[in-house]
Amino acid sequence: MSAVPVTNPVAEPVPQGLLRRIASDRLLVLWLVLAVVILLLGLLGPWIAPHDPYETQMRIARHTPGWTSPDGVTYWLGTDVQGRDILSRVLHGLGATLGISLGSVALGSGLGMVLGILAAYYRRLTAPIMRVADVLLSFPAILFGLSLSALMGPGLASLFIALSASCVAGMVRVARSAALVVTKQDYMEAGRSIGFGDFYLITRYLLPNCSSMLLIYATLQLGHTILLASLLSFLGLGPAPPFAELGSMAADGRKYLEIFPHVSTVPTLVIFLVVLVINLLGDALRDAFDPRLRA
Amino acid sequence: MTHFFNRLLTSLSVLAGVIVIGFVLIQVAPADPAAVRAGGSATAEEIAEIREEMGLNKPVVVQLGLYVWRLAHLDLGRSMISSQPVADEISATVGPTVELMLASVIWSIPLAIALGVVAAYRRGRFVDRLVMLVSVCGVSLPVFWVGMLLIQTVGGAGWLPYLGRGGPLWTLEGLAAIALPAITLGSVLIGPVARITRTAVIETLGSDYVRTARAKGAGEARILVRHALRNALLPIVTLVGLQVGNLLGGAVVTEQIFSWPGIGRMAVSAIFSSDFPLAQGAILVTAVGFLIINLVVDLLYASLDPRGSKQ
Repeated sequence: MSAVPVTNPVAEPVPQGLLRRIASDRLLVLWLVLAVVILLLGLLGPWIAPHDPYETQMRIARHTPGWTSPDGVTYWLGTDVQGRDILSRVLHGLGATLGISLGSVALGSGLGMVLGILAAYYRRLTAPIMRVADVLLSFPAILFGLSLSALMGPGLASLFIALSASCVAGMVRVARSAALVVTKQDYMEAGRSIGFGDFYLITRYLLPNCSSMLLIYATLQLGHTILLASLLSFLGLGPAPPFAELGSMAADGRKYLEIFPHVSTVPTLVIFLVVLVINLLGDALRDAFDPRLRA
Repeated sequence: MTHFFNRLLTSLSVLAGVIVIGFVLIQVAPADPAAVRAGGSATAEEIAEIREEMGLNKPVVVQLGLYVWRLAHLDLGRSMISSQPVADEISATVGPTVELMLASVIWSIPLAIALGVVAAYRRGRFVDRLVMLVSVCGVSLPVFWVGMLLIQTVGGAGWLPYLGRGGPLWTLEGLAAIALPAITLGSVLIGPVARITRTAVIETLGSDYVRTARAKGAGEARILVRHALRNALLPIVTLVGLQVGNLLGGAVVTEQIFSWPGIGRMAVSAIFSSDFPLAQGAILVTAVGFLIINLVVDLLYASLDPRGSKQ
């Protein structure tokens, strides 16, 4: 999705309206642009990082941001306890954190979406699916993360599964209520009377008509998931060191908080800014498109 | 009543799930539980005897039954590292965690509700925008950053201690030691609670009964508290109930940062030292605590909503 207004006069009416509505909301455009910038930084991080994020050089350890080494190399965000360039680690870590969070939101929310729509479309499935969602909802994500780490050992796999699972239940509820509204529309009935099958009706009629609401909710979930991911990896329940991930980087510098606060503060600040932009984007999208979701 | 029954059923399913997780954890433990129970100096015969006694030679389903039986008698096994009963080790950590959670909730929820009410009353004004800004920052803030900032500033200056528990809360040392952890953990709730309060109060402020109260000449403070806030409490309680999971996650991190001797810190260290029985016990006890809190919130909800309790 781009923030550029559509100029093509023969474009599809619906996307044009969508883009116009986005473009007319300046704050929404701002958050969208910032979110795209963050995404690009995360994607291109490994290529634009000035140094190797894993190369330790004890002689340049623990320098504050903006420090220039005797060789004339400037470390814009300083170096960490083991002499690694924090800027490079943050760029790599941003990609890792975003990748883990986006992946688990895609998996968890995708599953939740399918289940929620099925629960709305097939009455027989409503009770069992919603019961499972209730059970998932009363199992806090942190406990799930701890249990998985205990069972499988801490690592990327258990982190990913715990994060994905934390997205499912909320999405089931939102998707079901969004889909329920659509199933009652006349065009669904019309489609059915023409003789369209369930699969066709769901994918061509139902899904497109509640997709914006689901996308907004997934955006709101993303902010929450990034926080949860950094929280779990701060506890050490994520990928093992020296893997650059924002939460574990924050935990790394914890012991040197009083002497070298930047080692922890820089990655934490990045987490905060990323989550802030995504939350503001989610809020702006919701206000623009779906007042019903307003908390 | 049906609703409450459904909730109870859901809770029981969760409990069953957690028990299975706990059971699997014990099963995958590399150490022989019988050998752990027998102690280091036990002979092979003694261990075999304990194996038989614990039912470890029986089929898995029977073992699961025995596991549930032992749980019902509060026997959570023995720690693989200290070989102390897990129940004893855990009971020492539950108090500090409950203490920390209560201390966080007691200041943050009233403050957040007050912020939300003020923002709703001054809707669109500067105060409202400020509260909303604080709130969106609050929900975007990693809880460990709040803790680290407090340690850097207040702790670093030596004003308040930031390592461990100082003692019972009625002593000055105890209060001083819980201050920073409670501020850290409470900050998790400010954003979401202030936000939902604002939305809910804006809604009730626009309702007919508030207009009626105004027409009767009721004071603004009375209108806000007795009419607007009282009716806005339902969504607030619902949200607080949903936040308990977040609070739990925050508590685990807060305990870690401040070396608070709670159950979350113990669970994490048990996982890292592969002490399966201890991890199993900590997860089980935390899950049960969480379910109990959820049921209490539900009961509270029913007592606040006369429509629900009449059914």
